[in-house]
Parts: sequence; structure tokens; C-alpha cells
Amino acid sequence: MKKYILIFALSFICIHVANASDPAFEKAMSKQIQAMATIQTLEESQKVSNSFLRISEAQPEEWLPLYYASLLQIESAFRFDINKDQAFDQALEYIEKAKKIAPENSELTALEGYAVMGKLSVDPANRGQNLTPEAMQLFGKAIALDRENPRAVLLMAQMELGMAQFFGSGPEKACGVARMGSDLLQKEKGKINESYILPTWGERMASQFEKVCQ
Amino acid sequence: MKRQHYLTALFFLFHLGAFSQTILSGKVLDEKNQPLPGVNIYIKGSYDGATSDVDGSFEFETEEEGSQTIIYQLMGFKTQEFAIDCDSSPISLQNVSLREMITDMNAVTISAGAMQASDASKAVVLKPLDIVTTPSAMGDIIGAFQTLPGTSTVGNDGRLFVRGGDASEVGIYIDGLRVGNAYGSTAGNFPTRTRFNPNLFKGTFFSTGGYSAEYGQALSSALALNSKDISPRSQGDLSLLSLGGGYSHTLSSDKQSITLTGNFFDLGPYQNLVKQNIDWERGPHSWDLEMASQKKLADGSLLKVMARTESGGMKLWQKQPGKEGRGVFIDLDNRYTFAQTNWKKAYENGWTLFSGISYSNNKDDIFYDSVNLQKNSKLIHAKFTGIKDFSDRISANSGIEYIQNDYSEGIVEANLERDYTDHQFYGFTEWDFYLSKKLVFRTGLRGGNSSLNQETWVDPRASFAYQVSENGQISLAGGTFSQVPTENFRALTPELKNVKSKHLILNYLYGANGRTLRAEAFYKSYDNLVTFDGSPMAPEKPINEGKGFAKGIDLFYRESRLIKNTDFWVTYSFVDSKRQFDQYSTKVQPAFAPRHNFSVVAKHGFQKLQSQLGMSFSMNDGYAYTDPNQSGEMNSKTRSFQNLSLSWSYLPKPNLIIHFAVSNVLGRENVFGYQYAQTPNASGVYESLPSGQAAPRFLLLGVFLTLSKDKTANNLNNL
Repeated sequence: MKKYILIFALSFICIHVANASDPAFEKAMSKQIQAMATIQTLEESQKVSNSFLRISEAQPEEWLPLYYASLLQIESAFRFDINKDQAFDQALEYIEKAKKIAPENSELTALEGYAVMGKLSVDPANRGQNLTPEAMQLFGKAIALDRENPRAVLLMAQMELGMAQFFGSGPEKACGVARMGSDLLQKEKGKINESYILPTWGERMASQFEKVCQ
Repeated sequence: MKRQHYLTALFFLFHLGAFSQTILSGKVLDEKNQPLPGVNIYIKGSYDGATSDVDGSFEFETEEEGSQTIIYQLMGFKTQEFAIDCDSSPISLQNVSLREMITDMNAVTISAGAMQASDASKAVVLKPLDIVTTPSAMGDIIGAFQTLPGTSTVGNDGRLFVRGGDASEVGIYIDGLRVGNAYGSTAGNFPTRTRFNPNLFKGTFFSTGGYSAEYGQALSSALALNSKDISPRSQGDLSLLSLGGGYSHTLSSDKQSITLTGNFFDLGPYQNLVKQNIDWERGPHSWDLEMASQKKLADGSLLKVMARTESGGMKLWQKQPGKEGRGVFIDLDNRYTFAQTNWKKAYENGWTLFSGISYSNNKDDIFYDSVNLQKNSKLIHAKFTGIKDFSDRISANSGIEYIQNDYSEGIVEANLERDYTDHQFYGFTEWDFYLSKKLVFRTGLRGGNSSLNQETWVDPRASFAYQVSENGQISLAGGTFSQVPTENFRALTPELKNVKSKHLILNYLYGANGRTLRAEAFYKSYDNLVTFDGSPMAPEKPINEGKGFAKGIDLFYRESRLIKNTDFWVTYSFVDSKRQFDQYSTKVQPAFAPRHNFSVVAKHGFQKLQSQLGMSFSMNDGYAYTDPNQSGEMNSKTRSFQNLSLSWSYLPKPNLIIHFAVSNVLGRENVFGYQYAQTPNASGVYESLPSGQAAPRFLLLGVFLTLSKDKTANNLNNL
């Protein structure tokens, strides 16, 4: 009898340990997601990015840490004075890895489109022809995978705006898309609570559109 | 009871662990012992870790216990791992230095002789889009390369001539596989074009000498075209030109795509409208069908298939010097087929395997003054290569190849036919050694055997590149190059030996901030060149007795940020070439090697007009020719060649382009040489006719429309 109690107790401990990893993961992720919001310098961005990579190494079955590490690469390429192509390529590498964990994921597909858009922005005159359809196709796919993904819609609006500027036409179409993105973002807010670690960014993009689309 | 103790102990141990913390600290340096910031240092399998500071130092706490692995990781550097023992007492780690990995992005590349048309961010000579937007090119791949250093424009030929070499010395490859008869067949001084549409390719590698051991059967130059990967979307492309039109349809999914294209061209109506210097009976006309397909296989490898078939022809009268009338009647019919397939896979263990096969078949049916000449050339090229990256410092590219060449030519009425079949085997190996990211050595060997002339040969090649400053590098390349003689000579004398050449090239390349400067000096020797008795139209008794050389310098400067919305490049090439070849009994300056060659191409975008204006200007100091009224060979030179071309591209919508181009806007009467009568006239003078342009100007108007079912828009409507 005692033997069974021991087994039961041990298995309890094991379950306890296994379960414990999830709150720990969520806690670690939450901490870094909060830190992301305060990034001012390249060094800070690198610190947070490294933290996500550590979480990813310890939790190789999770796609989110790689998602955020990639997002940080893309954002630093836009914000800081670094080798942009290299940063976007690195971001795409993380996405590739994450796609193996979570294939057909709307957020990852949208992020991939974001990285492609970044590469396009380095040399639009020469890369536009190839990368514009690639980025549009990725945003389209991201929307098809999850019609309520505000980031996919806002990024597509961003592409539409870029094309409208390039061809000298008005931003009406882009603004229409952006409005849908903003609405989705509002809708998403209802879901967010303290332990929510899925992507929620997009507010800044939406507010930029508000200025353009007045 | 004992078990209860055990449980309690276990319980304590478990919780004790949670409170025991080890403090780790240390410092990370680079190879030069400078502090390395940004390194991710962590305990394997845990969240615990830190990022090194500006001074390379770090400190963090871990709750892990006992034997652990600490990892030092930074993008672009070789990851290092150490075993540590965490026992709650602070650990001060020894300084660790990380070694930078050598990657395509940060390493020096061999630039001697090489020019790449790619999207890469490094010093780029040509971008893929330049091929379609260079005005003088008129959408021809070769036309764009004629504005690059080391080439010369021969306006009545149209093919690519590199550094004193004739057009047959340029090897053209698609995905590393040889293309036979890459240029369309032509007659009577009407310039030819490449058969392949620039839209098929994602990048181009063009070398004017000293190239890799991977490329054989190319004495002067290698032009490697890399076909596109899987298309991102399904679409239809309609093109309407003043000379014809075509439609291309692409079907695409995640894993595969297929493009079917059909084109039809007829210069006849245009030539009726615009006065021509050539006496056309029937203007050049052609149709072509093409299929290109790409598929990503389940194992991650990429399979490509391309096939093309076309038919074309022209009829014209070629006036003869010293004779009355319209001259000789020429009727040309051409049939051409090209097909290739290749497979490529990159393995995790550093191997990349490639295998492919190509087939080219060209048939020319020519009536020359009612004599019917028929030519048929077939080429099969099979290739298998393996690239192995032994480390980030050593990699090797080796392969085996087989070429079968069948050729026949004959005059139907005379029942005269010559033909041959040649089996060629090749093997090559080439090794890259990176001594640092600033210094690379490449050494290669290429061996071949031809069954027809029963010759076996080995060509050693070597090159190196050294980065001298942040954005500047020097590169040196040299080696020997072999090529079997051209088909018409081999059909006459199958035993003809290989034509040989040696190259030596010194290159300086600077590239930064949208600016590229390239300077190159070269020396090239020729041996075993084919000489013959008789005329080029009817060569007799060809032998390998010719010799020659070419030496000179090239300068290239490209600037894309100096003037807003303007991108321009300037090229100057000086070639001093003399060779004894063809019918010449002495060393002469070839007609296709003008000494001074200059070109400038500029493109300016007008954002408000949604347009791009293109301008290209080329000139040289004239072509050498033999005037039989004077003594000696190649004793004269034509007037300077000059061509100013303009183009206007208008993009009113993302899917619509309207393109208008005019070559030789100023209408300069360019002459590429003179054709002389075989015999002198009554007053003892050989009469002549200039070999000039087909027309003073050439105008092209094109409308290009892309039709795609905008899936993204459809999706948005459903939101």
C-alpha cells in the first residue's frame, strides 16, 4: 500500500513539476513582453531579444519566443542604424524555425510578410518588382488563416499605402484596409488580460494611419 | 517509515533547489581581445542568462544546480559551450573569446573578371532590372551587358564580344548548363538577339576572364544565367509591342509554379513604315513557345524544368559591291529547341548536390543565291556537382560533366555533306580557403577529353581576393582556358586541336553607399587559333597555327545616390588586341575589338509623372577592316561608332507599363566595316559597300499588362 502511495506521491510531484513549467514560461514571456515596450536603444533591444532566444532554447516546442525575437530584429532594423539586410535575414531565419513548430500560423505568416516588406524598403526601385507580390501574398495568406488578425490587415494596408505613394495615387484604398485593421485591434483588446502573451502590437501603425487618412 | 523519510528528504531537496542561487560573471572578447557586447550567455535548458555589456562583461544568477552547460552565443559568431559546476558559490568565469564566422555576407569575394547582376547589397555592378531598363538593350540580355566593362559593341552582329575575343568565345549557361545557339540565327548584317527573355532569370553572373573551373568551353567569357525560383503568385502577363506580342500565364501554389508563354514577332509591318537600309523581301519574323516550371519536393529540394521551341526566318536581298541590281537573295529559316531540367538540394551536413541536363537543337535552312545550305547542331550537356562546406573557412565544389555535340552541314543540290559527333568528358574541382574574412584563396583544376580530336587536357586556375579597406578590395585571377574549335571548322577537319588561352587579371573594387568603382587590368594570350585558306564564307584547310594576345584596362563607375532619383554608370574599356586567326596571315587587330570603348547609362525617375527616363550613350574609336586597294591586312579603320538611345517608361498603375525606346536618336550613320568586290573593276579599284545599320533608328513601343486575380482583395471583402 505504501508503495502505491509513494508512486502516487512521486507522480504528483512529477505532474506538479511539469505543470509548473507553463506558468514559468508565461511569466518569463510576460516579463520580456513588458520589457519590449520600454526599449529605447539597440542594446536594450538586443538584451530582450537574447532573453526570448534563451526561452526558445529552453522551450523548443514554443513558437512565440522566436516570433518575438524576430519581431525585435525587424523593429531594430527600422529604428536603429544597423545592417538592415542582415537583420531582416536573421528575422526570416527565426521565422523559418518557428514555422517548423507552428506551421500555417497567421501571426508568423504576417511577420514573414513584415520582414519581406523590410527587405523591400532597403531598395524599393529594384526589389519592388519581386518582393511586392511576395509580401502581398504573405499578408493575404495570413488574413486567410485568421480573418481577425489585425496585424496582417494593418501590414497589408501599409503595403497598399506604399504602392499608392509609389504610383502617385491617393491613399483611399489603404485607408479603408487600415480602418478594418484598427477595428480588429479594438476587438482584440477585449481578449487581453494579464497572462495574455500572444502578439497584440499594431497600435502605433494604426495611429499613423489615422494621421494619413484624415 | 524509512520511505516517509525519503519522501520528506525529496520534498526538501526539491524546495531547497528553488532557493539556492549561483551567481555567474565573466567577460566576452572577440578575436582581437576587444570587448564583445550583445553576446547571449545562458545555462543550457534554462531561462537563466544575460547579455554582455559594452565592456563585454556579464553577470547573472541561476537556480540550476550541479553540472551544467554554459553557452555563449552571438549571431555571426561561432557558439561556444563550457561545462560548469553550480554549487551556490559565486563563479567568476574565465574570459571567453568568440571567433567570427565567415559568411557570404561578411567575407571578401573574388571580383577579378566577375560582374554579378543581383539584388545583393554588396558592390553590385548591374541589377536584374537594369537588363530591361537599359535603353540601348531593347530588352535583350546581351544588350545590357554591352554597356559593361570589357565588352565591345558590334552593331551589325549583336552578339557579345569580350576583350578581343570573338563571339564564340563566350560560353552561355542557364543554371550552370550549357546553351547551344543561344543567339537567334540571322543573315546579311542584321544584328541578332539572345533567344531568352530576361524575365526568366533572377540573377546573372558575367565574367570577362579568370573565372571558375566550373565553366568550360569558354575561352574569353562566361555568362551564367540563373532561372527564377517558384513564382509568388498566379498571374497573366500580356505584352503588345510594335513588332508583335505575347501572352504568359503563371499558375502558382506554395510548392510549385508553372509558366507558359507564347510570343509572335514580325518586323515586316514596322519595316514597311520606317525606311530600311536593308532590302527586305520578308522582314524577320518568329514565334516561340516556352514552359518553365519549378517545384519544391517533399525533401526540400528544388526541381526545375524549362523547355522552349521557336521558329523564325527572314528573306532579303544583299547588294554586292561593284555589281548592279539587288544583289544576292538570302532566305533563312530557323528552328530551335531548348530543354533543360535540374535538381538541387542543400543538406544539413554542409553538402549541396546539383544534377541537371540540357538539350539544344538548332536547324538553319538557308538559300544563298539559290544554293541551299542546311546546318544542324545538337548539344547535350549533363552535369552533376557537389559542393561541400567543410567549415566556414574551407569549401569545395567538384563535378563531372558530359557533352555530346552533333553537327552536320550540307549543300543539298551538290549532295555534299559533312558531319561529326563528339563526346566530351569533364571533371573539375575547386577549393576556396578563407584565411580570414578579408583574405580568400581559390584554386581549381578542370580536365577534359574530346573523342573527336582525341585530346585530353587540364586547365589549372587560381585566384585570390584581399580586402584592403572597409569598402575596398583587390583581387587577382589567372589560369588557362580551352575550347574546341567552332563547329564549321571541326566539320572540315575533325582533328583540329583545342584553342587555348591564358588569362591574368588584376582588379580593384570599391563599393559603398550606392557607389561602385571598379578598375581592372588584364593580359590574355591566345594559342592554337584556327587559321584557314580561302574566304570566311568558304574556309579551306583550317589549321591550329594562329596566335595572339589582348591586353588593356577597364574602368567602371556607378552612382545611385549622388543625384536624387538618378542612377547612372560610366564605363571605359581599352583593349589592345592583335591576333592571327581566320584568313589573316599576320597578327592583326580584329574587327570586333575596337581599342577605345566608352559608354554611359543613366536613369532618372520622375515620381510625379510616374515615369522613368533612360539614356544610354555608347561610342568607340572605330572598327578595323582590310581595304584591298591598299597593302596589308586590317590596314584601315571605320569612323567612330556612336549611339545615343533614349527610353521612356510610364507606370500609370502597378500592373501596367508603357515603354517607348529609340536607338540612335541622332541618326548617326554608323559603319561597322566594308564589303569589297572579289575582283577590281575596269580602273583597277576594288569597289566597296559599307556594312552599316539596318536602319538609322530603331523605335520600340510596348504595352505590358499584368492580370492577376487579386486574392488579397477578395479576402478583404470577406472580413
